[in-house]
Amino acid sequence: MEGPTTSGGAGVAAGPRSGPSRRRRQPSRLARTEARTAWLLLLPTFVILAVIAFYPFSRVVTSSFTNARFASTSTSTEFVGFANYRRLLSLTVKELPKVVGEDGQPVLVDGRPQYESWVRVLPREPMRYRSVFEFSLLGRRYVVGAVTAPFVRAIWDTSVFTVVAVFFETVLGMVIALALNREFRGRGMMRAAMLVPWAVITAVSARIWEWMLQPTRAGLFNTLGSYLGLNDGRTDFFGNPQLQLPSMIVMDVWKTTPFMALLLLAGLSTIPSELYEAAEVDGASKVRQFFSVTLPLLSPTLAVALIFRTLDSLRVFDIFQVVLGNRRFSMASYTQDLLINQREMGTSSAASVVIFVMVAVFAVLYIRTLGQRSIE
Amino acid sequence: MTRRGRHVAGQALFYLLIAVIFVYLMFPFYWAIVSALKTQAELIRTPATLWPANPVLDNFRAVLNNGRFLRALLNSTIVASSVTALSLVVGSFAGYALGKMRFTGRTPALYVILAMTMFPQIAVLAGLYAVIRVLGMPAIPSMVLSYMLFTLPFTVWVLTSFFRGLPASLLEAARVDGATLFQAFRMVLLPLTAPAMVTTGLLAFIQAWNEYLFALTFTVIDPPSRTVPVAIALFTGAVARQEPFGEIMAAAILVTIPLVALVLIFQQRIVAGLTAGAVKG
Repeated sequence: MEGPTTSGGAGVAAGPRSGPSRRRRQPSRLARTEARTAWLLLLPTFVILAVIAFYPFSRVVTSSFTNARFASTSTSTEFVGFANYRRLLSLTVKELPKVVGEDGQPVLVDGRPQYESWVRVLPREPMRYRSVFEFSLLGRRYVVGAVTAPFVRAIWDTSVFTVVAVFFETVLGMVIALALNREFRGRGMMRAAMLVPWAVITAVSARIWEWMLQPTRAGLFNTLGSYLGLNDGRTDFFGNPQLQLPSMIVMDVWKTTPFMALLLLAGLSTIPSELYEAAEVDGASKVRQFFSVTLPLLSPTLAVALIFRTLDSLRVFDIFQVVLGNRRFSMASYTQDLLINQREMGTSSAASVVIFVMVAVFAVLYIRTLGQRSIE
Repeated sequence: MTRRGRHVAGQALFYLLIAVIFVYLMFPFYWAIVSALKTQAELIRTPATLWPANPVLDNFRAVLNNGRFLRALLNSTIVASSVTALSLVVGSFAGYALGKMRFTGRTPALYVILAMTMFPQIAVLAGLYAVIRVLGMPAIPSMVLSYMLFTLPFTVWVLTSFFRGLPASLLEAARVDGATLFQAFRMVLLPLTAPAMVTTGLLAFIQAWNEYLFALTFTVIDPPSRTVPVAIALFTGAVARQEPFGEIMAAAILVTIPLVALVLIFQQRIVAGLTAGAVKG
């Protein structure tokens, strides 16, 4: 038998009646049926996604260029170009001059120079800027102003929240995963306990934490704090602007660390134990083993987990909305507030698009890491 | 210290670490239970105590007699079950096509599905609300439809990788026996995917049970349609004087226990489903 002729490969085309040609036509008909069936099977999924994702998103993009009001009866919406985006993202940094007394010398209070209020420094025309925050640099005082100060602050706060929360989740998740990667009595129970925070509804866990963080000693943390002499038992975790973000981070870390630990634990279990035995023989310490064996082999899992958690944190809504309401916003909770409470559909849509773009950057990273691994 | 002594000390430290982790994970839940068992008077008494002086079930009784809460429980059950069922049916079709068939456009379709698993809900909120108004849908069906935004791509993605893992010979054998692609799907592959369906279904159910943003927004004008997360977030007791945290904690426990039970029963599968994809395997 001659191999090449019987293999019926492409491009053989000897004659109209020869075997290979007949065999070539048949699979192609089969292939066409298969393709048609495949698209038929995919149709419901894509129709649903078109109705609930592609079309609504195109509406959001369109209305982000208009002055549409939410649930309004009037139909007069106008095209406003990039005005919504300009309003949301306009930023300026101005120096605050020192307050000067009648003698021409800076006024000092408690030995510190006083600065003018931002109201006198930030522009009012064509759009009115408000203070987002002030900072000192090289002996001068500056103010960051924005037209939509709450949104700019929300972008900043959400970014800080994401970086800090994901950092602690990763470190704590790693500690838990490493501990649970050993054989010990009660390991099964620990693995079960890990699923508890994950299974609690996020909005519900926010209320549990809200109760634990009550501003009086009826709350757990104020009681503990006063016993340990850390505070007077009246710390207002949600009212004090400096404690709002840390409180949110503590809640989020509790809720999502188990997920991180589960992912890392699954990654750890794929590392062959021979590698550790070899490292042991070479006299590597446990710490050395962690950095030379565990971390490099865990890095693909770690990358996926990090990107995944970052994506999730950037979209954070539940805990901010439930606990802080309109006292402090995340990007998502501000956008929802704009739409529902302020009825600013155009501006809210623009904010949605801004969030979409931020999330998309990380989504592309995620698809690159995970997609190529499992699609090809 | 002797070698043996160091070993014992190491073991003790290890178990201490485990104990700390356990307390950290479980404490908020424990605190919710303790608070729910306290009387209103004890609840606001300072300082807080680790254990109720005389445990009472008043808060649980109040919550179980709260019509709005029971309604929310029913709404959540309806919404989450419908979303799960729909996602599994529609998702298994797509998963079969993407996992077991060869056709042009398969790779782009897979990328679209993967990208959709990360689609931020907030990005479609205003547009989705408009769609729902045009379709004239009441709050509950509109939640069912819109929750597919996150359950469907996820279901398709997980089921695709599961279908792909099934041996092709099974399918070929069925085709040789004269089964159509549909029959092969229904009679050969579907029974085999039951375990994957359970896992994916559970995860979809939990996601839907958890959802807050759409539920809050779509029930603004229709409070009776509120689901559990919204009801608990907006919980006001019989007396509106102050936030009834005893009842809120009782409600929190009542909605969490079934979920925790479910999760513990299917522990292995859920962990496998959650970590699938993240770990090369």
